[in-house]
Amino acid sequence: MKKIGERVAERAFFLSALASSLITVAILVFMVFMGLPLMREGGFYQLLVKPWAPYQGAFGIYPMIVGTACISLLGLAVAFPLSLGCSFLITTIAPKPVSRVFRRLIELMTGIPTVIYGFVGIFLLVPFVRELFQDGSGMCVLTAALVLGIMITPTMTLFFCDSFARIPRSYLDAADALGASPVQKLLYVILPSARKGLLNGVILALGRAVGDTLVALMLAGNSVRVPESVLEPARTLTAHIALVIAADYESPEFRSIFSCGVVLYLFTLVVTFLARYLSFAENKKA
Amino acid sequence: MKKISWIQPLLIISILLLVCAPAFSGSLDPFQGEKGVLKISGGTAHIPVMKDAAKKIMVMNPEIQISIAGGGSGVGIKQVGEGLVAIGNSGRKPTDEEISRYKLVLHKWAIDGVGPVVNPKNPVKALSKSQMKDIFAGKIENWKMLGGEDRKINIYTRDEASGTREVFWKKGLDKGEIIPGAHVVVSNGAMKSAIAQDPYGIGYVSVGHIDATVAPVALDGVVPTIETVQEGTYTIARGLYSNTRGEPSGLTKKFLDFLFTPEGKKIIEEKGFIPVR
Amino acid sequence: MKPRTLEIFSIVFAWIAGLILVSAVLVLLGYLFIKGYTSLNLSLIFGDTPPLRALLFRTRVFDGLFPAIAGTLVLVILSIVLAIPIGISTGIYLAEYAGSRIKRALDAFFDVLSGIPSIVIGLFGFSFAVFLHKQYSNRIGPCLLISSIALSLLVLPYIIRTTQAALEGIPSNIRMTALALGATRLQNVFLVLIPRSLSGIMSGIILAIGRCAEDTAVIMLTGAVASAGVPRSVFAQFEALPFYIYYISSQYSDPEELMRGYGASIILLLLCALLFAVAYGIRKGLSHFVFYRP
Repeated sequence: MKKIGERVAERAFFLSALASSLITVAILVFMVFMGLPLMREGGFYQLLVKPWAPYQGAFGIYPMIVGTACISLLGLAVAFPLSLGCSFLITTIAPKPVSRVFRRLIELMTGIPTVIYGFVGIFLLVPFVRELFQDGSGMCVLTAALVLGIMITPTMTLFFCDSFARIPRSYLDAADALGASPVQKLLYVILPSARKGLLNGVILALGRAVGDTLVALMLAGNSVRVPESVLEPARTLTAHIALVIAADYESPEFRSIFSCGVVLYLFTLVVTFLARYLSFAENKKA
Repeated sequence: MKKISWIQPLLIISILLLVCAPAFSGSLDPFQGEKGVLKISGGTAHIPVMKDAAKKIMVMNPEIQISIAGGGSGVGIKQVGEGLVAIGNSGRKPTDEEISRYKLVLHKWAIDGVGPVVNPKNPVKALSKSQMKDIFAGKIENWKMLGGEDRKINIYTRDEASGTREVFWKKGLDKGEIIPGAHVVVSNGAMKSAIAQDPYGIGYVSVGHIDATVAPVALDGVVPTIETVQEGTYTIARGLYSNTRGEPSGLTKKFLDFLFTPEGKKIIEEKGFIPVR
Repeated sequence: MKPRTLEIFSIVFAWIAGLILVSAVLVLLGYLFIKGYTSLNLSLIFGDTPPLRALLFRTRVFDGLFPAIAGTLVLVILSIVLAIPIGISTGIYLAEYAGSRIKRALDAFFDVLSGIPSIVIGLFGFSFAVFLHKQYSNRIGPCLLISSIALSLLVLPYIIRTTQAALEGIPSNIRMTALALGATRLQNVFLVLIPRSLSGIMSGIILAIGRCAEDTAVIMLTGAVASAGVPRSVFAQFEALPFYIYYISSQYSDPEELMRGYGASIILLLLCALLFAVAYGIRKGLSHFVFYRP
């Protein structure tokens, strides 16, 4: 009796695992399937480089790819120094009680919903950017990137802190034995050793930035043209999906969002495997 | 949505009419004893009227559930055609192709206009049609060229599913270009909020939606208001349609009929549209 | 000379970064609370309807957050109920039964799943709904059930990972004890390992709950609408708090609605803070309870 129960349970667990992993593949399959007609007639590569002008029959997602790239990279550029600095504070520079409180605060920040960042951004940051630069409407690449940067900073900071904590004890002891101050230890021992971990964190944060929908949807203006400056509106792949979902189920416009989905999925794959490779390499050291 | 025999409600109505003193004109009586779910989606200009009508009906009979979504005229037509909703609203007349493909039956219950709007702080409140076409095409880029401040003009437009956009593009811009760098908003409400928050923006919105937060722009001397739309002096007008797949029945039919009753017409007028006789 | 300046620079840099971040958060929270606290009263939630009648579902609430709050609640419960069995089973499999090659492969799958943008999952849910609509029944469309399924996909990786990590974190002497006494693998898992890792699993579940409550992109595409009342069936469309906030922010028709948006934001924030506190408390408290059970 027991043996059968055991086997059944093991089977059940295995099936759950199988189902979960198959879903991952199913998502990609569904998207390719739904987007296939457009991709086949347009040629997938064509879609990636043509502009979006449905009334002229152009269903390319190139402007959206540029929009995603600009906003995410700019957001990352904002977040990286902030995260680095904050992780310095938490691990070394701030006195113990301050760093504990600060870390708690950052952990709390990771729980703030994205939609709230967008909400406050619309009413606070958009007019501010508009008046500061005396140009444009405030709904632009810059605004979205700033908010996105602030949003991904807490996660990245915590990741950096964890990377710093994984440095082998022997390195730290060696530095102490040579009389290094905490800051010197941080800069010359911890930072170089944690290089791979930092890169890993950046890549994962980039994945998160690219995948975010609401910040860009609410703050970046959603125009269909490639932005020519950071003060111009832009549309990301994710916002495009949210905006076009309204159309019907046969039209090429609708099918174009599946090509967006495929691009995003492929990007996720690249990010994931890069991050895995880096963390394996880092773990091998330890 | 089950088919319900007319006899019961008819009896109830007659008894109610005889007994009830508060003369609501009995517009809501057909909804007595009904129950079920009614899904509505589509044109965003229709939403205030839909919400109000739904509220009155649901307060009167809590067994009825009406859910209202937006999405734009394109969405309304497609979704009702696919059977995802019972009523698909559109702010433009469905094309013949759409009517034959989805077997649509049209119900036009109001007339509305589409007018250009700017922020109330903007001194430029009148434009000629050719100026407007140039603005949206990107040829006039700065407000100072029109007598306003020295700031770039921020153009707001609607997404492709929008009937409001279609009407404005056809009749207001004579199918002229709208620059691809324009900001895209997803509904009349969103257009209003965007213009209300941007002192240097220009967009277009359903005339019924115009209130104190945005300022209408006179086009060739005619200010887009409900009166000018009704008189015919303001020509960028469209009907507000509720479309069904095939002839409506049951709850759907009653809801649509309600829009043509005096009480329904009162709601339509309150929201700033012109009820169809 | 050089090393000293770099160090001083780093210190200043770190403090500035910390200051910027802290002020950004404080501005965010402060703005919301200052602008929104006036809206925090019963009519925010219930509109004109008397609260008791609304709670008993006798009268529908208009101009109030009650339907959105109810919608979010039902959505979260449904999603978690869907995600927990599969998530925990998969986590158990990964931690206890999987060989190392299968483990690496599955690990890769779940890493990808956790990285998929939420809108892509929403897109999947939407196309799934359309597929069902065309193939099976005209009555199925984007609805509460589809949203829950999609959300459970979104949070599945959280539950899997935390279950796996919690189980793997149990020291090997405890793991071996029951087995040495003759228990079967299954008995070991259910009677020893799971109770030991309960706090880890629970915090994973709480994390998943938080994620479900705050997500907007998925439900936007799979059935959340602006006005639907309290959901009466799983095939109905529904309202949800984060979607309400998004909707209001872009298309509020009068200042009252905007104030409701602020109120909704505050409520959502408080909800997330509450979940966080619960997760923290569980991590501290549950391990106490489990360890010192008589």
